[in-house]
Amino acid sequence: MTNDSHFETIYNEHKNLVYNMCLHYVLNPEDAQDITQEVFVKVYQRYHQYDTASASLKTWICRIAINHCLDFLKAKKSKKRFGFLSPLFYAESNEPISNAVYVNHPGIQTENKEAIESLLQIIYTLPENQKTAIILCRIEDRSQKEVAEIMNTSVKAVESLLQRAKQKIKNKLKDREGL
Amino acid sequence: MNIDNKLDLMKQIREVDAPPFLLTRIRQQIQNLDNVEAPVKWKWAFAVISVAILVFNVSIFLKTVNTTEGKTTGIETVISSMNLAATNNIYNE
Repeated sequence: MTNDSHFETIYNEHKNLVYNMCLHYVLNPEDAQDITQEVFVKVYQRYHQYDTASASLKTWICRIAINHCLDFLKAKKSKKRFGFLSPLFYAESNEPISNAVYVNHPGIQTENKEAIESLLQIIYTLPENQKTAIILCRIEDRSQKEVAEIMNTSVKAVESLLQRAKQKIKNKLKDREGL
Repeated sequence: MNIDNKLDLMKQIREVDAPPFLLTRIRQQIQNLDNVEAPVKWKWAFAVISVAILVFNVSIFLKTVNTTEGKTTGIETVISSMNLAATNNIYNE
């Protein structure tokens, strides 16, 4: 991208969309800010590859954001899995390693805070595609057609992902309530 | 339990504004991309590995030359001791 003001226009139009999407995936503002930053740097670098015929700019940016979020979560998961090796390579690494997801979402300011946080924790543990389908359809309230376009799949596939995700959420909620 | 009703709770999550300092951070990172330089440790490691590969190649080359020379001498000894023709000129043309 050569034009600085053009980039600023794109940033201003999409910053909240990307930041909120990142928040829904990583559930804390610090990581969401880092990922949003990476997403827009990538948009700047790859803008010449963007094909207007294949998807709208919004869809293209959404795809970049989703991929970055999923990569971040994968890296975090593998860091936890191989956390016992980190003292061998990084002597100063004293970060606590835990499997619990701490939810610090600044958008949750209702009386149902606990219930929403509990749902978000369950969504966090879903497989990648189911997680994306639920976040886009149920949290961001997008149509299944739009979600299918973003995920580069069919509406039927999105429907099926949503059904499986709902079933898993239901089971996990039952387990939690049973405890 | 109606899962759809439960999931509808998530519509209460409000949209949050991106922090205003993000654009500055992004611009800074874009500028830094142009002046990325390899760390000194990497430079030294690259230099040491290059020299090691060069020395290894030269040593292999020298060894090969010595072996080939030795073989030539051995063949010549065999030819002379068995009175064999050392040229391809069979019919003394």
